[in-house]
Amino acid sequence: MPAIELTHISKSFGALKAVDDVTFSIEKGELFGLLGPNGAGKTTAIRCMLDIFKPDSGSVAVLGGPMTEAKKDRIGYMPEERGLYQDIPLDRCLAYLGSLKGLSQAEVKQRAEGHLERFDLAAHKHKKVKELSKGMQQKAQVIATLLHQPELLIVDEPFAGLDPVNTQMIKDLLREQRERGVTVVLCSHQMHLVEELCDRIVLIDHGKTMLYGLLDEIRRKFSGNAVLVRADRELPSLPGVERLEPVNGAVKLHLAAGTKPQDLLRLLVSKDIPIERFEIAMPTLDEIFIRVVQSTPKGQGEGGEK
Amino acid sequence: MTKILRVAWHEYQQHVYNKRFLMGLLSVPLVVLVMVGLIYIIISMENNTTPLGYVDYSGLLVAPLPAPAPEKPDKPVPILPFETEADAGSALAAGEIQAYYVIPADYLSTGSLTVVHMGEVKRPARQQFYDFLSVNLLRDTDPLVAARLVEGAEVVVVSPDGSRSASSENWFNVFMPMIAGLGFVIVIFSTGGYLMQAVVEEKENRTIEVIITSVSPNQFMAGKIIGDISIGLTQILLWVAFIAAIVLVGRNSIDFLRGIQISSQTLLLLGLVMVPSFVMVAALMAAVGATVAEAREGQQVTGLISLPVWIPYMFMAVIMKNPNSPIAIGLSLFPMTAPLTMLIRDGLTILPAWQIALCAFIQVTSAVAAVWLAGRAFRLGMLRYGKRLKWREIFVRS
Repeated sequence: MPAIELTHISKSFGALKAVDDVTFSIEKGELFGLLGPNGAGKTTAIRCMLDIFKPDSGSVAVLGGPMTEAKKDRIGYMPEERGLYQDIPLDRCLAYLGSLKGLSQAEVKQRAEGHLERFDLAAHKHKKVKELSKGMQQKAQVIATLLHQPELLIVDEPFAGLDPVNTQMIKDLLREQRERGVTVVLCSHQMHLVEELCDRIVLIDHGKTMLYGLLDEIRRKFSGNAVLVRADRELPSLPGVERLEPVNGAVKLHLAAGTKPQDLLRLLVSKDIPIERFEIAMPTLDEIFIRVVQSTPKGQGEGGEK
Repeated sequence: MTKILRVAWHEYQQHVYNKRFLMGLLSVPLVVLVMVGLIYIIISMENNTTPLGYVDYSGLLVAPLPAPAPEKPDKPVPILPFETEADAGSALAAGEIQAYYVIPADYLSTGSLTVVHMGEVKRPARQQFYDFLSVNLLRDTDPLVAARLVEGAEVVVVSPDGSRSASSENWFNVFMPMIAGLGFVIVIFSTGGYLMQAVVEEKENRTIEVIITSVSPNQFMAGKIIGDISIGLTQILLWVAFIAAIVLVGRNSIDFLRGIQISSQTLLLLGLVMVPSFVMVAALMAAVGATVAEAREGQQVTGLISLPVWIPYMFMAVIMKNPNSPIAIGLSLFPMTAPLTMLIRDGLTILPAWQIALCAFIQVTSAVAAVWLAGRAFRLGMLRYGKRLKWREIFVRS
């Protein structure tokens, strides 16, 4: 049973179709990437998952059925627009948000202590939230999201504004959550992080599903007729190779139509060229993202997120 | 229910432990203290206890009876006899007396006497001399009759059904419902203002999106309104306790404070009219918070909402002249003007039971409608960051 299942959901705001017939499911315990350019409809899709918005058509199943008030206590959500009470001390803010997830004061206190220590915020817990730096507030928001130990975690741009040390900390944390069996939905623009963390992704643009599935399969699908080769000398001109492109100490060989990677490998071996690396050149998620987004018509989905 | 109470408690804490609330809370006691202080200063300035003198040529004040004790807060003024006007004049010049009266031989037939003073003789001293003179003029009359003549009559005006009365002893009670109503309205709007601001801030700092993934919009709104009413009741209870303490302490020094009381009808109106009005205004304020884009805009809209509440004051003269006039009854049956109109009228007339019942029904219905409206406005407007929700959308959208 999937943790989240969106079936043909559509949501419009006036004339603007923010989400248009989107279907995907997120399996229990997986770390799933929800991608898309600004205004693509990601946040609207998330709000439909969380029952903040009712879709105009289609259905949403969360943790095995429609959203209920009781299920809210099993979900942790960190919106892109961070939301903490600014005028109260951090510990009181966490206590209130934790209590709304059904935790007792003692549970909040006990759990918050550990998180505050880990995120290096223990010394700041009596400070008003507005007195904390942006990065600290970001970490405080993560604590508020995890305090009630949710089964389903939806995090929108969790790395925004974090330094490399804290980015690593959040990455470790998300992996930990997955190891604990928590379903994690990661919404981010930082493709290398999504690539690093997620097994499956969905890419939404102009409210429509553009890509959906296993990351490896998607990359394979987008890989062109090219190979990456590293040799201990400069490669000579080779038949069937249209052009050479240096990539991180290796050379990307773009093969002519009809030339297979196996043909090239045989050719290199026959020429007695010592090969240190030979692999099918897979595009990065960044490249795929740009290729997909640039190939879809512009204008339609701009400002689609409410 | 637990989550509603948690929201309410958070709302309560956030505002009650706030400097702004404490300032508002202390404002009334401070105003009362300043007023009491001013009254005390004015009374002290009136109360000149330097003796008064008199020169009696009429023979009415031979071996005189002492003057009756003055009413509080007036202080007793010694009244000294002088043989001649020259002696009295010397005492006046020496500052031993503040003034002296000359009672001529034909006083009984003319009723005129002369007073010689350096500065004006204030009312408390003047009154004590006249009482002294009256007591001695009536010394051969039956003491009970004499006392009655000196003290005068206490006319008690009683309503036909006997439920209300007023006299010079408790004249202040006419104003008590009005003051209670005014206090309530101030609290309703000040705490409603806090609520509106809290909702706008939650939208502005984006907390709302986190909150509504924990509680339903209805639970959130209910918690907010309960919290708001609790804040208001705290404010009212503390004010009442303070004013009660002032009355209890002050009644020993100021006579009119002894007669102060709040009638059962006023308490009934506070319960039946003011409490639903409180819920109505709190819900409207929350609705305003949910629809506007920023706090300043909310304050402008709040100003428009609060305007009709003060209409009864514009018609004060009409209502006081005839508290049962059609305009007074009309204002009593309009949700925004009913709270003050009913309480102003309560001090002046017997309110018919049907008017109280109808007014309470209208206020309760309006409160329910306002809560519904607030819930709807909140659901539609909570995620409109930096963008106003049009009121038309609240009624049109599903």
